[in-house]
Amino acid sequence: MKEGRQSFLAKKPVYLRSSYTIVGPKEGDGNFGECFDTVLRDDRWGEKSYEKAESKMHREAIRGAICLAGLDFDGIDLMLAGDLLNEISASSLAMRYFKVPFAGLYNACSTFSEGVLLAAALIDGGAVKTVTCSTSSHFASAERQYRYPLELGNQRTPTSQWTVTGAGCSVLSGERPEAEKDAENRENFAEKMNEIRESCLKSAEEEDERQKRRGARDKDENPFAHGGEKLFGAVKRKILRICRPDSLIEPQCDPSYRRTHVVKITGGTFGKVVDFGLTDESNMGGAMAPAAADTFLAHLKDTGASPGDYDAIFTGDLGRFGKQAFEYILAREGVRLDNYYDCGAGYYKPEQETFQGGSGAGCVNTVFNGSIVKRMERGELKKVLVLATGALLNKDTPLQKESIPGVSHAFVAECEEL
Amino acid sequence: MIDKAEYREYVGKSAPKSPMFRSLAAAFLVGGLICCVGQAVGDVISVLFPDMSADDVGSWTTVVMIFFGSFFTAIGVYDKLGHFAGGGSIIPITGFANSVVSPALEYNREGVFFGICAKMFVIAGPIIVFGVVAGIIVGVISLFA
Repeated sequence: MKEGRQSFLAKKPVYLRSSYTIVGPKEGDGNFGECFDTVLRDDRWGEKSYEKAESKMHREAIRGAICLAGLDFDGIDLMLAGDLLNEISASSLAMRYFKVPFAGLYNACSTFSEGVLLAAALIDGGAVKTVTCSTSSHFASAERQYRYPLELGNQRTPTSQWTVTGAGCSVLSGERPEAEKDAENRENFAEKMNEIRESCLKSAEEEDERQKRRGARDKDENPFAHGGEKLFGAVKRKILRICRPDSLIEPQCDPSYRRTHVVKITGGTFGKVVDFGLTDESNMGGAMAPAAADTFLAHLKDTGASPGDYDAIFTGDLGRFGKQAFEYILAREGVRLDNYYDCGAGYYKPEQETFQGGSGAGCVNTVFNGSIVKRMERGELKKVLVLATGALLNKDTPLQKESIPGVSHAFVAECEEL
Repeated sequence: MIDKAEYREYVGKSAPKSPMFRSLAAAFLVGGLICCVGQAVGDVISVLFPDMSADDVGSWTTVVMIFFGSFFTAIGVYDKLGHFAGGGSIIPITGFANSVVSPALEYNREGVFFGICAKMFVIAGPIIVFGVVAGIIVGVISLFA
Protein backbone atom coordinates (compact mmCIF):
# COMPACT_ATOMS: atom_id res chain seq x y z
CA MET A 1 0.00 0.00 0.00
CA LYS A 2 1.35 3.37 -0.94
CA GLU A 3 2.50 5.51 1.93
CA GLY A 4 3.37 9.14 1.36
CA ARG A 5 5.18 10.18 -1.78
CA GLN A 6 7.77 7.42 -2.34
CA SER A 7 7.15 4.67 0.20
CA PHE A 8 4.95 1.65 0.63
CA LEU A 9 3.99 -0.67 3.44
CA ALA A 10 3.37 -4.34 2.74
CA LYS A 11 -0.11 -5.31 3.89
CA LYS A 12 0.57 -9.02 3.61
CA PRO A 13 3.68 -10.35 5.31
CA VAL A 14 6.57 -10.98 2.94
CA TYR A 15 8.90 -13.57 4.47
CA LEU A 16 12.51 -14.21 3.72
CA ARG A 17 12.47 -17.95 3.17
CA SER A 18 16.19 -18.40 2.76
CA SER A 19 19.36 -16.60 1.82
CA TYR A 20 22.65 -17.77 0.42
CA THR A 21 25.98 -16.07 -0.23
CA ILE A 22 29.15 -16.92 -2.11
CA VAL A 23 32.21 -14.68 -1.88
CA GLY A 24 35.80 -14.63 -3.05
CA PRO A 25 38.92 -15.29 -0.96
CA LYS A 26 39.64 -11.65 -0.09
CA GLU A 27 36.10 -11.19 1.20
CA GLY A 28 36.51 -14.38 3.22
CA ASP A 29 39.47 -12.77 4.98
CA GLY A 30 37.48 -9.60 5.68
CA ASN A 31 35.40 -8.62 8.68
CA PHE A 32 32.33 -10.62 7.64
CA GLY A 33 34.36 -13.71 6.66
CA GLU A 34 32.64 -15.92 9.23
CA CYS A 35 29.12 -15.10 8.04
CA PHE A 36 29.22 -16.22 4.44
CA ASP A 37 27.89 -19.57 3.34
CA THR A 38 30.61 -20.31 0.81
CA VAL A 39 34.05 -18.73 0.55
CA LEU A 40 35.88 -19.55 -2.66
CA ARG A 41 39.58 -20.31 -2.58
CA ASP A 42 40.08 -19.10 -6.11
CA ASP A 43 38.30 -16.03 -7.45
CA ARG A 44 38.11 -17.56 -10.92
CA TRP A 45 36.42 -20.70 -9.57
CA GLY A 46 38.04 -22.91 -12.21
CA GLU A 47 36.52 -20.86 -15.06
CA LYS A 48 38.38 -19.33 -17.98
CA SER A 49 37.37 -15.73 -17.36
CA TYR A 50 36.28 -13.62 -14.42
CA GLU A 51 32.98 -12.89 -16.14
CA LYS A 52 32.24 -16.59 -16.37
CA ALA A 53 33.23 -16.98 -12.73
CA GLU A 54 30.85 -14.18 -11.73
CA SER A 55 28.04 -15.78 -13.66
CA LYS A 56 28.78 -19.10 -12.00
CA MET A 57 28.76 -17.49 -8.55
CA HIS A 58 25.43 -15.87 -9.37
CA ARG A 59 23.98 -19.16 -10.56
CA GLU A 60 25.20 -21.15 -7.58
CA ALA A 61 23.98 -18.49 -5.14
CA ILE A 62 20.47 -18.76 -6.60
CA ARG A 63 20.62 -22.53 -6.64
CA GLY A 64 21.81 -22.59 -3.03
CA ALA A 65 19.07 -20.24 -1.83
CA ILE A 66 16.37 -22.21 -3.61
CA CYS A 67 17.68 -25.48 -2.15
CA LEU A 68 17.82 -23.99 1.35
CA ALA A 69 14.23 -22.81 0.99
CA GLY A 70 13.29 -26.41 0.28
CA LEU A 71 11.86 -25.46 -3.11
CA ASP A 72 12.55 -26.49 -6.65
CA PHE A 73 12.34 -24.40 -9.80
CA ASP A 74 8.59 -24.97 -10.11
CA GLY A 75 8.17 -23.29 -6.77
CA ILE A 76 9.70 -20.01 -7.97
CA ASP A 77 7.41 -17.66 -9.89
CA LEU A 78 9.89 -14.97 -10.87
CA MET A 79 13.56 -14.21 -10.60
CA LEU A 80 14.76 -10.65 -10.13
CA ALA A 81 18.47 -10.32 -10.72
CA GLY A 82 21.10 -7.82 -11.70
CA ASP A 83 24.82 -7.13 -11.69
CA LEU A 84 27.31 -4.53 -12.85
CA LEU A 85 28.47 -6.00 -16.15
CA ASN A 86 27.37 -4.65 -19.51
CA GLU A 87 23.79 -5.60 -20.29
CA ILE A 88 23.70 -7.41 -16.91
CA SER A 89 25.35 -10.35 -18.61
CA ALA A 90 26.37 -12.23 -15.47
CA SER A 91 22.75 -12.60 -14.35
CA SER A 92 21.29 -13.18 -17.81
CA LEU A 93 23.80 -15.90 -18.59
CA ALA A 94 23.24 -17.49 -15.19
CA MET A 95 19.49 -17.60 -15.92
CA ARG A 96 20.01 -20.01 -18.80
CA TYR A 97 20.11 -22.78 -16.22
CA PHE A 98 16.73 -22.04 -14.68
CA LYS A 99 13.39 -22.62 -16.30
CA VAL A 100 11.81 -19.72 -14.45
CA PRO A 101 10.66 -16.28 -15.68
CA PHE A 102 13.40 -13.70 -15.27
CA ALA A 103 13.25 -9.92 -14.96
CA GLY A 104 16.62 -8.19 -15.16
CA LEU A 105 17.27 -5.14 -13.02
CA TYR A 106 19.95 -2.51 -13.01
CA ASN A 107 20.47 0.23 -10.47
CA ALA A 108 24.22 -0.10 -10.07
CA CYS A 109 25.13 -1.11 -6.53
CA SER A 110 21.60 -0.54 -5.23
CA THR A 111 20.16 -3.28 -7.46
CA PHE A 112 19.69 -5.61 -4.50
CA SER A 113 17.39 -3.33 -2.55
CA GLU A 114 15.55 -2.45 -5.75
CA GLY A 115 14.97 -6.17 -6.25
CA VAL A 116 13.80 -6.71 -2.68
CA LEU A 117 11.41 -3.75 -2.87
CA LEU A 118 9.94 -4.90 -6.18
CA ALA A 119 9.64 -8.46 -4.91
CA ALA A 120 7.86 -7.29 -1.76
CA ALA A 121 5.52 -5.12 -3.81
CA LEU A 122 4.75 -7.93 -6.27
CA ILE A 123 4.09 -10.46 -3.51
CA ASP A 124 2.01 -7.94 -1.61
CA GLY A 125 -0.01 -7.19 -4.72
CA GLY A 126 -0.56 -10.87 -5.38
CA ALA A 127 1.14 -11.00 -8.77
CA VAL A 128 3.57 -13.69 -7.64
CA LYS A 129 3.99 -15.97 -4.65
CA THR A 130 7.70 -16.68 -4.46
CA VAL A 131 10.52 -14.58 -5.89
CA THR A 132 14.31 -14.77 -5.82
CA CYS A 133 16.33 -11.56 -5.60
CA SER A 134 19.96 -11.91 -6.47
CA THR A 135 22.88 -9.72 -7.44
CA SER A 136 26.57 -10.29 -8.02
CA SER A 137 29.74 -8.36 -8.61
CA HIS A 138 33.32 -9.38 -9.18
CA PHE A 139 36.38 -7.25 -8.53
CA ALA A 140 38.26 -8.29 -11.65
CA SER A 141 35.36 -7.98 -14.08
CA ALA A 142 34.24 -4.62 -12.66
CA GLU A 143 37.78 -3.30 -12.69
CA ARG A 144 38.10 -4.19 -16.33
CA GLN A 145 34.77 -2.69 -17.26
CA TYR A 146 34.91 0.56 -15.30
CA ARG A 147 38.60 1.16 -14.78
CA TYR A 148 41.87 -0.27 -16.06
CA PRO A 149 43.35 -3.69 -16.80
CA LEU A 150 44.30 -5.55 -13.64
CA GLU A 151 48.03 -5.69 -14.34
CA LEU A 152 48.36 -1.97 -15.10
CA GLY A 153 50.74 -0.42 -12.60
CA ASN A 154 48.73 2.64 -11.58
CA GLN A 155 47.95 3.94 -8.14
CA ARG A 156 44.51 3.88 -6.59
CA THR A 157 43.38 7.12 -5.04
CA PRO A 158 42.55 7.24 -1.31
CA THR A 159 38.86 7.78 -2.15
CA SER A 160 38.61 4.63 -4.27
CA GLN A 161 36.69 1.56 -3.21
CA TRP A 162 37.23 -2.12 -3.78
CA THR A 163 34.50 -3.95 -5.70
CA VAL A 164 33.34 -6.94 -3.70
CA THR A 165 33.68 -10.35 -5.31
CA GLY A 166 30.48 -11.94 -4.22
CA ALA A 167 27.00 -13.06 -5.09
CA GLY A 168 23.99 -13.53 -2.90
CA CYS A 169 20.38 -14.51 -3.25
CA SER A 170 17.30 -14.18 -1.07
CA VAL A 171 14.12 -16.10 -1.62
CA LEU A 172 11.09 -14.00 -0.66
CA SER A 173 7.69 -15.53 -0.32
CA GLY A 174 4.23 -14.91 1.03
CA GLU A 175 4.38 -18.31 2.73
CA ARG A 176 5.78 -18.52 6.21
CA PRO A 177 8.73 -20.87 6.67
CA GLU A 178 8.30 -23.63 9.24
CA ALA A 179 10.86 -24.57 11.85
CA GLU A 180 10.71 -28.35 11.29
CA LYS A 181 11.02 -28.03 7.55
CA ASP A 182 13.90 -25.63 7.96
CA ALA A 183 16.17 -28.19 9.59
CA GLU A 184 15.21 -30.80 7.06
CA ASN A 185 15.96 -28.46 4.15
CA ARG A 186 19.32 -27.61 5.53
CA GLU A 187 20.30 -31.24 5.96
CA ASN A 188 19.06 -32.10 2.47
CA PHE A 189 21.04 -29.22 1.12
CA ALA A 190 24.23 -30.28 2.88
CA GLU A 191 23.76 -33.77 1.51
CA LYS A 192 23.25 -32.44 -1.99
CA MET A 193 26.33 -30.24 -1.72
CA ASN A 194 28.37 -33.24 -0.61
CA GLU A 195 27.12 -35.25 -3.56
CA ILE A 196 28.01 -32.51 -6.01
CA ARG A 197 31.42 -32.11 -4.46
CA GLU A 198 32.14 -35.82 -4.51
CA SER A 199 31.13 -36.12 -8.14
CA CYS A 200 33.34 -33.10 -8.93
CA LEU A 201 36.29 -34.64 -7.13
CA LYS A 202 35.69 -37.97 -8.79
CA SER A 203 35.58 -36.52 -12.28
CA ALA A 204 38.73 -34.52 -11.52
CA GLU A 205 40.49 -37.68 -10.37
CA GLU A 206 39.37 -39.57 -13.43
CA GLU A 207 40.58 -36.76 -15.64
CA ASP A 208 43.97 -36.83 -13.89
CA GLU A 209 44.19 -40.57 -14.31
CA ARG A 210 43.37 -40.30 -18.00
CA GLN A 211 45.99 -37.66 -18.45
CA LYS A 212 48.57 -39.73 -16.63
CA ARG A 213 47.86 -42.68 -18.88
CA ARG A 214 47.96 -40.45 -21.94
CA GLY A 215 51.19 -38.89 -20.67
CA ALA A 216 52.78 -42.35 -20.32
CA ARG A 217 51.76 -43.17 -23.87
CA ASP A 218 53.04 -39.85 -25.17
CA LYS A 219 56.47 -40.53 -23.74
CA ASP A 220 56.98 -43.57 -25.95
CA GLU A 221 56.16 -41.66 -29.11
CA ASN A 222 58.07 -38.84 -30.65
CA PRO A 223 56.25 -35.68 -29.56
CA PHE A 224 56.98 -33.97 -32.88
CA ALA A 225 55.44 -36.78 -34.91
CA HIS A 226 52.13 -34.95 -35.32
CA GLY A 227 53.35 -31.46 -36.08
CA GLY A 228 54.10 -30.63 -32.47
CA GLU A 229 50.43 -30.83 -31.60
CA LYS A 230 51.09 -33.51 -29.03
CA LEU A 231 53.87 -31.53 -27.41
CA PHE A 232 51.74 -28.43 -27.07
CA GLY A 233 48.82 -30.55 -25.96
CA ALA A 234 50.92 -31.95 -23.15
CA VAL A 235 52.14 -28.50 -22.11
CA LYS A 236 48.61 -27.18 -22.18
CA ARG A 237 47.35 -30.02 -20.03
CA LYS A 238 50.11 -29.44 -17.56
CA ILE A 239 49.25 -25.73 -17.34
CA LEU A 240 45.59 -26.57 -16.92
CA ARG A 241 46.42 -28.98 -14.14
CA ILE A 242 48.42 -26.33 -12.31
CA CYS A 243 45.71 -23.73 -12.79
CA ARG A 244 42.90 -26.03 -11.86
CA PRO A 245 42.95 -25.43 -8.19
CA ASP A 246 41.54 -27.31 -5.31
CA SER A 247 38.68 -24.89 -5.86
CA LEU A 248 36.56 -27.93 -6.58
CA ILE A 249 36.52 -28.53 -2.86
CA GLU A 250 34.81 -25.44 -1.55
CA PRO A 251 34.04 -24.92 2.10
CA GLN A 252 30.30 -25.16 2.30
CA CYS A 253 27.53 -23.68 4.33
CA ASP A 254 27.05 -24.85 7.87
CA PRO A 255 24.37 -27.58 7.99
CA SER A 256 23.86 -27.28 11.73
CA TYR A 257 22.76 -23.63 11.57
CA ARG A 258 19.22 -23.10 12.92
CA ARG A 259 17.23 -19.92 13.07
CA THR A 260 14.96 -18.93 15.90
CA HIS A 261 13.40 -15.94 14.18
CA VAL A 262 12.14 -15.31 10.69
CA VAL A 263 12.84 -12.12 8.76
CA LYS A 264 10.12 -10.30 6.88
CA ILE A 265 10.18 -7.32 4.60
CA THR A 266 7.59 -4.84 5.74
CA GLY A 267 8.02 -1.94 3.39
CA GLY A 268 10.40 0.51 1.92
CA THR A 269 11.09 3.64 -0.01
CA PHE A 270 11.99 3.96 -3.67
CA GLY A 271 14.69 6.54 -4.23
CA LYS A 272 15.00 9.40 -6.67
CA VAL A 273 18.05 9.97 -8.81
CA VAL A 274 19.99 12.72 -7.07
CA ASP A 275 22.80 14.59 -8.77
CA PHE A 276 24.94 17.01 -6.80
CA GLY A 277 27.29 17.61 -9.70
CA LEU A 278 30.26 15.60 -8.51
CA THR A 279 32.53 14.50 -11.31
CA ASP A 280 35.27 12.48 -9.60
CA GLU A 281 34.63 8.89 -10.64
CA SER A 282 37.03 7.59 -8.03
CA ASN A 283 34.98 9.20 -5.26
CA MET A 284 31.68 7.38 -5.53
CA GLY A 285 30.93 7.62 -1.83
CA GLY A 286 30.73 11.40 -2.11
CA ALA A 287 28.47 11.13 -5.16
CA MET A 288 26.10 8.64 -3.54
CA ALA A 289 25.79 10.14 -0.07
CA PRO A 290 23.24 12.84 -1.11
CA ALA A 291 21.06 10.19 -2.76
CA ALA A 292 21.14 8.07 0.40
CA ALA A 293 20.31 11.10 2.52
CA ASP A 294 17.47 12.07 0.17
CA THR A 295 15.90 8.61 0.35
CA PHE A 296 16.40 8.43 4.10
CA LEU A 297 14.71 11.77 4.70
CA ALA A 298 11.87 10.82 2.34
CA HIS A 299 11.47 7.55 4.25
CA LEU A 300 11.25 9.34 7.60
CA LYS A 301 8.76 11.84 6.19
CA ASP A 302 6.55 9.24 4.46
CA THR A 303 6.38 6.72 7.27
CA GLY A 304 6.63 9.09 10.20
CA ALA A 305 9.38 6.93 11.69
CA SER A 306 12.35 8.29 13.57
CA PRO A 307 15.91 6.90 13.38
CA GLY A 308 15.50 5.56 16.92
CA ASP A 309 12.75 3.17 15.75
CA TYR A 310 15.37 1.03 14.07
CA ASP A 311 17.83 -1.23 15.84
CA ALA A 312 20.29 -0.55 13.09
CA ILE A 313 20.46 1.47 9.89
CA PHE A 314 22.72 0.21 7.13
CA THR A 315 23.80 2.03 4.01
CA GLY A 316 25.15 0.04 1.11
CA ASP A 317 28.58 1.02 -0.05
CA LEU A 318 29.21 4.66 0.76
CA GLY A 319 32.65 3.84 2.11
CA ARG A 320 34.36 5.58 5.00
CA PHE A 321 34.26 9.05 3.46
CA GLY A 322 30.73 8.60 2.07
CA LYS A 323 29.57 7.57 5.52
CA GLN A 324 31.02 10.75 6.95
CA ALA A 325 29.38 12.83 4.18
CA PHE A 326 26.03 11.09 4.78
CA GLU A 327 26.19 11.88 8.48
CA TYR A 328 27.21 15.45 7.69
CA ILE A 329 24.21 16.03 5.41
CA LEU A 330 21.81 14.50 7.93
CA ALA A 331 23.34 16.51 10.77
CA ARG A 332 22.59 19.64 8.76
CA GLU A 333 18.96 18.49 8.60
CA GLY A 334 18.96 17.95 12.35
CA VAL A 335 18.86 14.13 12.17
CA ARG A 336 21.27 12.28 14.45
CA LEU A 337 22.12 8.64 13.90
CA ASP A 338 23.42 6.49 16.76
CA ASN A 339 23.07 3.05 15.26
CA TYR A 340 24.25 3.65 11.75
CA TYR A 341 26.67 1.38 9.86
CA ASP A 342 27.96 1.26 6.33
CA CYS A 343 28.29 -2.21 4.81
CA GLY A 344 31.10 -1.17 2.47
CA ALA A 345 33.16 0.72 5.05
CA GLY A 346 33.17 -2.26 7.40
CA TYR A 347 33.64 -4.93 4.77
CA TYR A 348 37.40 -5.30 4.74
CA LYS A 349 40.05 -5.13 7.40
CA PRO A 350 42.33 -2.09 7.31
CA GLU A 351 45.38 -4.19 6.45
CA GLN A 352 43.68 -5.33 3.24
CA GLU A 353 44.36 -1.87 1.79
CA THR A 354 41.06 -1.14 0.15
CA PHE A 355 41.04 2.55 1.16
CA GLN A 356 37.31 3.34 1.46
CA GLY A 357 36.11 -0.25 1.80
CA GLY A 358 33.93 -2.45 -0.35
CA SER A 359 31.46 -1.50 -3.06
CA GLY A 360 29.56 -3.17 -5.86
CA ALA A 361 26.24 -4.91 -6.29
CA GLY A 362 27.48 -7.84 -4.23
CA CYS A 363 28.49 -5.70 -1.26
CA VAL A 364 25.20 -4.86 0.42
CA ASN A 365 23.75 -8.15 -0.78
CA THR A 366 26.35 -10.39 0.84
CA VAL A 367 26.37 -8.33 4.04
CA PHE A 368 22.57 -8.42 4.26
CA ASN A 369 22.21 -12.10 3.42
CA GLY A 370 25.33 -13.18 5.26
CA SER A 371 25.45 -11.05 8.38
CA ILE A 372 22.34 -8.93 8.94
CA VAL A 373 19.86 -11.72 8.19
CA LYS A 374 21.69 -14.13 10.47
CA ARG A 375 21.79 -11.60 13.28
CA MET A 376 18.06 -11.02 12.82
CA GLU A 377 17.37 -14.75 12.68
CA ARG A 378 19.10 -15.07 16.04
CA GLY A 379 16.93 -12.23 17.29
CA GLU A 380 19.80 -9.81 17.92
CA LEU A 381 18.27 -7.18 15.65
CA LYS A 382 14.51 -6.66 15.55
CA LYS A 383 14.04 -4.00 12.92
CA VAL A 384 16.56 -2.66 10.44
CA LEU A 385 16.58 -0.24 7.54
CA VAL A 386 18.82 -1.05 4.61
CA LEU A 387 19.66 1.75 2.18
CA ALA A 388 21.61 0.36 -0.74
CA THR A 389 23.23 3.08 -2.80
CA GLY A 390 24.33 3.17 -6.40
CA ALA A 391 26.41 5.55 -8.51
CA LEU A 392 24.98 5.78 -12.00
CA LEU A 393 27.77 6.03 -14.53
CA ASN A 394 29.45 4.04 -17.19
CA LYS A 395 32.94 4.33 -18.58
CA ASP A 396 31.98 6.95 -21.18
CA THR A 397 29.75 9.36 -19.26
CA PRO A 398 32.56 10.97 -17.21
CA LEU A 399 34.56 11.40 -20.45
CA GLN A 400 31.55 13.19 -21.93
CA LYS A 401 31.74 15.59 -18.97
CA GLU A 402 28.61 14.25 -17.30
CA SER A 403 28.41 14.43 -13.55
CA ILE A 404 27.75 11.29 -11.49
CA PRO A 405 24.22 10.95 -10.11
CA GLY A 406 23.37 8.56 -7.31
CA VAL A 407 20.30 6.56 -6.41
CA SER A 408 19.33 4.78 -3.24
CA HIS A 409 16.47 2.47 -2.36
CA ALA A 410 15.57 1.59 1.20
CA PHE A 411 13.76 -1.41 2.59
CA VAL A 412 12.69 -2.26 6.11
CA ALA A 413 13.27 -5.74 7.49
CA GLU A 414 11.73 -6.92 10.75
CA CYS A 415 11.90 -10.23 12.51
CA GLU A 416 9.40 -12.30 14.42
CA GLU A 417 9.74 -15.59 16.24
CA LEU A 418 9.64 -18.69 14.15
CA MET B 1 18.80 19.35 1.89
CA ILE B 2 22.20 20.93 1.78
CA ASP B 3 23.00 23.29 -1.09
CA LYS B 4 24.75 21.59 -4.02
CA ALA B 5 27.66 24.00 -4.30
CA GLU B 6 28.15 23.89 -0.56
CA TYR B 7 28.22 20.10 -0.61
CA ARG B 8 30.75 20.05 -3.45
CA GLU B 9 32.92 22.39 -1.43
CA TYR B 10 32.59 20.11 1.60
CA VAL B 11 33.61 17.07 -0.47
CA GLY B 12 36.54 18.93 -2.03
CA LYS B 13 37.74 20.00 1.41
CA SER B 14 37.25 16.86 3.42
CA ALA B 15 37.72 13.96 0.97
CA PRO B 16 40.94 12.10 1.80
CA LYS B 17 43.88 13.10 -0.35
CA SER B 18 46.97 11.27 -1.50
CA PRO B 19 49.87 11.65 0.93
CA MET B 20 52.03 14.03 -1.09
CA PHE B 21 55.41 13.42 0.52
CA ARG B 22 55.13 9.64 0.58
CA SER B 23 54.00 9.50 -3.07
CA LEU B 24 56.77 11.79 -4.25
CA ALA B 25 59.45 9.97 -2.27
CA ALA B 26 58.32 6.54 -3.52
CA ALA B 27 58.14 7.78 -7.12
CA PHE B 28 61.59 9.39 -6.85
CA LEU B 29 63.20 6.28 -5.38
CA VAL B 30 61.67 3.70 -7.69
CA GLY B 31 61.91 5.87 -10.82
CA GLY B 32 65.55 6.57 -10.03
CA LEU B 33 66.19 2.88 -9.40
CA ILE B 34 64.68 1.91 -12.76
CA CYS B 35 66.85 4.52 -14.47
CA CYS B 36 69.92 3.14 -12.67
CA VAL B 37 69.03 -0.35 -13.90
CA GLY B 38 68.73 1.11 -17.42
CA GLN B 39 72.14 2.74 -17.11
CA ALA B 40 73.62 -0.54 -15.86
CA VAL B 41 72.10 -2.41 -18.81
CA GLY B 42 73.59 0.17 -21.19
CA ASP B 43 77.01 -0.16 -19.51
CA VAL B 44 76.93 -3.95 -19.70
CA ILE B 45 75.99 -3.80 -23.40
CA SER B 46 78.82 -1.39 -24.19
CA VAL B 47 81.29 -3.68 -22.34
CA LEU B 48 80.04 -6.79 -24.15
CA PHE B 49 80.00 -5.09 -27.57
CA PRO B 50 82.85 -2.54 -27.51
CA ASP B 51 82.42 -1.73 -31.22
CA MET B 52 78.81 -0.66 -30.90
CA SER B 53 78.06 3.06 -31.41
CA ALA B 54 76.53 5.05 -28.55
CA ASP B 55 73.20 5.38 -30.42
CA ASP B 56 72.95 1.64 -30.91
CA VAL B 57 73.73 1.01 -27.26
CA GLY B 58 70.88 3.37 -26.36
CA SER B 59 68.44 1.55 -28.66
CA TRP B 60 69.39 -1.87 -27.32
CA THR B 61 69.10 -0.63 -23.75
CA THR B 62 65.56 0.54 -24.56
CA VAL B 63 64.75 -2.86 -26.03
CA VAL B 64 66.06 -4.66 -22.94
CA MET B 65 64.13 -2.33 -20.59
CA ILE B 66 60.92 -2.88 -22.59
CA PHE B 67 61.51 -6.60 -22.21
CA PHE B 68 61.92 -6.20 -18.44
CA GLY B 69 58.75 -4.11 -18.21
CA SER B 70 56.74 -6.66 -20.20
CA PHE B 71 58.21 -9.61 -18.34
CA PHE B 72 57.47 -8.23 -14.89
CA THR B 73 53.97 -7.28 -16.03
CA ALA B 74 53.36 -10.80 -17.28
CA ILE B 75 54.45 -12.43 -14.02
CA GLY B 76 52.27 -10.01 -12.07
CA VAL B 77 54.94 -7.98 -10.29
CA TYR B 78 54.79 -4.66 -12.10
CA ASP B 79 51.29 -3.69 -10.94
CA LYS B 80 52.37 -4.18 -7.33
CA LEU B 81 55.39 -1.99 -7.95
CA GLY B 82 53.05 0.55 -9.55
CA HIS B 83 50.76 0.58 -6.49
CA PHE B 84 53.75 1.53 -4.42
CA ALA B 85 55.63 3.85 -6.77
CA GLY B 86 52.93 5.52 -8.89
CA GLY B 87 54.55 7.88 -11.38
CA GLY B 88 57.98 6.46 -10.61
CA SER B 89 57.19 3.29 -12.48
CA ILE B 90 54.77 4.78 -15.04
CA ILE B 91 57.06 7.39 -16.61
CA PRO B 92 60.08 5.19 -17.57
CA ILE B 93 59.86 3.04 -20.70
CA THR B 94 59.08 0.00 -18.53
CA GLY B 95 55.81 1.70 -17.61
CA PHE B 96 54.99 2.16 -21.28
CA ALA B 97 55.62 -1.55 -21.84
CA ASN B 98 53.34 -2.25 -18.88
CA SER B 99 50.55 -0.12 -20.37
CA VAL B 100 50.67 -2.17 -23.60
CA VAL B 101 51.11 -5.62 -22.10
CA SER B 102 48.49 -5.30 -19.35
CA PRO B 103 45.52 -4.75 -21.72
CA ALA B 104 46.89 -7.48 -23.98
CA LEU B 105 46.78 -9.86 -21.01
CA GLU B 106 43.39 -8.59 -19.92
CA TYR B 107 41.69 -8.95 -23.32
CA ASN B 108 43.40 -12.22 -24.17
CA ARG B 109 40.14 -14.02 -23.56
CA GLU B 110 38.29 -12.20 -26.35
CA GLY B 111 40.55 -13.79 -28.97
CA VAL B 112 43.58 -12.63 -30.91
CA PHE B 113 42.03 -10.16 -33.36
CA PHE B 114 39.38 -8.24 -31.49
CA GLY B 115 40.83 -9.05 -28.11
CA ILE B 116 44.59 -8.70 -27.96
CA CYS B 117 45.28 -6.79 -31.20
CA ALA B 118 42.39 -4.35 -30.97
CA LYS B 119 42.59 -3.62 -27.25
CA MET B 120 46.37 -3.62 -26.82
CA PHE B 121 46.63 0.14 -27.29
CA VAL B 122 43.64 1.32 -25.27
CA ILE B 123 45.97 2.99 -22.77
CA ALA B 124 49.16 3.48 -24.78
CA GLY B 125 47.31 4.69 -27.90
CA PRO B 126 47.41 8.43 -27.05
CA ILE B 127 51.13 8.21 -26.26
CA ILE B 128 51.85 6.66 -29.64
CA VAL B 129 49.65 9.17 -31.49
CA PHE B 130 51.29 12.13 -29.77
CA GLY B 131 54.72 10.62 -30.34
CA VAL B 132 54.11 10.21 -34.06
CA VAL B 133 52.55 13.66 -34.44
CA ALA B 134 55.40 15.31 -32.52
CA GLY B 135 57.87 13.38 -34.67
CA ILE B 136 56.25 14.67 -37.86
CA ILE B 137 56.22 18.26 -36.62
CA VAL B 138 59.88 18.14 -35.55
CA GLY B 139 60.78 16.44 -38.84
CA VAL B 140 59.06 19.12 -40.91
CA ILE B 141 60.71 21.91 -38.90
CA SER B 142 64.16 20.32 -39.29
CA LEU B 143 63.56 20.05 -43.06
CA PHE B 144 63.29 23.84 -43.36
CA ALA B 145 65.56 24.92 -40.54
